[in-house]
Amino acid sequence: MDFSFSDQEKHFEEQMRSFFLEEKETADKAKQEWDSGLGMGPNCWKILKKLGEHRWICPTWPKKYGGLELSYIYKYISMEQMHHFTNIPTLVGAGMAGPIILNHGTEKQKEKYLLEISSGEVEYTLGYTEPEAGSDLAALSIKAEDKEDYFLINGSKLFNTRTHYSRYHWLGARTEKTEKKYKGISLFIVDLKTPGITIRPIWTVGGRRTNAVFYDNVELPRETLVGELNRGFYYILEALDYERISTVGGLQRDFQEILEYVKETGRNKDPLIRQKMSQLAIEIESARLLALRVAAMLSKGKIPNHEAGMLKMMVSETEQNLVNTAMKIFGAYGQIKKGSKWAQLSGKYEWLYRDSLENLITRGTSEIMRNIIAERGLGLPRD
Amino acid sequence: MDFELSESQNIILHSAKTFLEKETKGLARDVETTDDGFSLKVWKKTAELGWFGVVLPEEYGGMQGNYIDLVLLLEEAGKALFPGPLISIIISGLCIDEYGNQLQKDELLPKIIGGDLIIVPAIIQPDPAFGGDFIQDEIKEHDGRYTLSGTRLFVPFAHVADKILYCAETSRGKTFFLSDTKNFGVVCTPLESLGGDKPSEVNFDAVEVPQENLVGQFGRAEEILKKIGEWGALAQSAYIAGMLSQILAMSVEYAKQRVQFGKKIGSFQAIKHQCAEMAGDLDRTKFLTYQAAWRLSEKLPATKEISMAKACASEASRKVSLLGVKIHGGTGVSEEYDMQLYFRRAKVAEIAFGDADFHQEILARQLGM
Repeated sequence: MDFSFSDQEKHFEEQMRSFFLEEKETADKAKQEWDSGLGMGPNCWKILKKLGEHRWICPTWPKKYGGLELSYIYKYISMEQMHHFTNIPTLVGAGMAGPIILNHGTEKQKEKYLLEISSGEVEYTLGYTEPEAGSDLAALSIKAEDKEDYFLINGSKLFNTRTHYSRYHWLGARTEKTEKKYKGISLFIVDLKTPGITIRPIWTVGGRRTNAVFYDNVELPRETLVGELNRGFYYILEALDYERISTVGGLQRDFQEILEYVKETGRNKDPLIRQKMSQLAIEIESARLLALRVAAMLSKGKIPNHEAGMLKMMVSETEQNLVNTAMKIFGAYGQIKKGSKWAQLSGKYEWLYRDSLENLITRGTSEIMRNIIAERGLGLPRD
Repeated sequence: MDFELSESQNIILHSAKTFLEKETKGLARDVETTDDGFSLKVWKKTAELGWFGVVLPEEYGGMQGNYIDLVLLLEEAGKALFPGPLISIIISGLCIDEYGNQLQKDELLPKIIGGDLIIVPAIIQPDPAFGGDFIQDEIKEHDGRYTLSGTRLFVPFAHVADKILYCAETSRGKTFFLSDTKNFGVVCTPLESLGGDKPSEVNFDAVEVPQENLVGQFGRAEEILKKIGEWGALAQSAYIAGMLSQILAMSVEYAKQRVQFGKKIGSFQAIKHQCAEMAGDLDRTKFLTYQAAWRLSEKLPATKEISMAKACASEASRKVSLLGVKIHGGTGVSEEYDMQLYFRRAKVAEIAFGDADFHQEILARQLGM
């Protein structure tokens, strides 16, 4: 066992940190854009392209697709730094779609799609959730009819958050009606400019934009199919395991902010606050270790499964504890929004109290994670 | 960054598992009602495996391993509820090695490691607020000898110990004295307790201790106490991780077999989610403990990490053992099954070397609050 980064890993971390400090102005603006709830704005793209020039977005990928052929620990470091400085926790193209294209795509697809992902030019949006398919993802019903030289898509998607600024929809669609629902799903890479697609905004309680996406007789060329027909659900699961590398970069940053506040305002003398802050520090540190376990497993070529589920659950629940702790510390002042002289820490936690809810639900709810831990980790029966 | 065990650690663990399976199955239950509360025969066999000197130097018979080796073994011991003053003997060994003089090391360490000498630290003074009669602390110094009087509480297995490492406040600060339990004026009485693991009352009534039996410098025991607190907290965290891992395994096993409403109860989400909760608490405890042990091995400051580990372990100890009882239903509270034994011991381990409140306060100071 070894709980330290190697010299090369430390060097990589240091390089990334100085990059973000040099680009602080852009990074700060990118963070503002991200936190505004509108998703990626011009400064997000600017910083992503620069990260792409350094090949830091997909450091584990082959060099010819814009990577550095490094281990997953580097990917972890890269995500942690990006999360810390821009608050963007993850990228769908680099984290989910890309690895599946790399593992199961055709040569042509790899050449067409991978470089734009690793260079930070495009983002993908997940096209999984539907009105009747949330936690039960295999129930998705959007129809993809095989018309030999193309697929005809009809139906709708819900809560596909990154759609309004992404170039591609990572679409899970039903290609066959099968008794076992998960056996008739296929994955497609859809250019969102394809005729027949309508995107409608939905606003969350956290002020974040998510979307409903409608497909009306959309024709997709055959070459947009990813991997084998009807194997889509397996790829979705595989991608989820990659995607559940979360970092606690953002939580550590916010913890420091609350800690400084507590010290400056003298609240650190309150034994209840001392205790709550310590409990929070322990939760964040243990979540960090669980994140590193997942990264270390991937580095050794192992696929984390229930370990990734446990991490996802812990990080999102620790965030709840962080937000609740901050709100407790502020008392009645915590409810006041940004802009008022009475707002504490610029009203950030009034907003996070709402916005953090999404992390409990998106990418699999905590309850689904508990099912995964129990069934796949501990071997308890499905039914 | 590496979360896997080394080849030598795998070998140590394999032999530990085989040994514990063979020698300690049901032992914790069997010895609970005996006067000694542990098996001297198994204790000696454990010594042969080198467990009492995992991190101690080879020149005294130790394994010269690292703290990760140590916590891995303690975890296995926790799974089996290994009975006896295991954590005390490890702490005493570390204490003599780090603070003892050469004579003490040469004489005591080989015996400790060999299983021929049991030394237990006696630190906790009675709090008058809790009542009870006890001997008032008094130290007299005369011609290079000390006469010690006082009561120490909750000393594990003092009644079977050969020597007591007795801490007392002198006019010039706290000091550690080493005394034979056979010395005139020493009385050790095991107390009936929740865990049934023999916490003892140690009474010193004008016990004579020669100068050469001081451990560490006179009046400078604060540092030793801090170290003992840290070693103890780390060791307890590892032992707890082992207990919880066993509780989880037993609960999952039970949930896979027990049928109610025509289904295995493990298929119900109410049970699944409790098991998932237990698994999360267990993994957090384990990795915080491993990280703290790694820091000690690398000679990095570990006060903060040890307190994180023990605070997490203490909370998890109570929570996980309670969930274990609930999943087991009536079986969980039946005297004839092991679950209740783990539940009782989990509470004792939660308190030993500081509960979560205690360690959260250390952590708060470490965070600069």
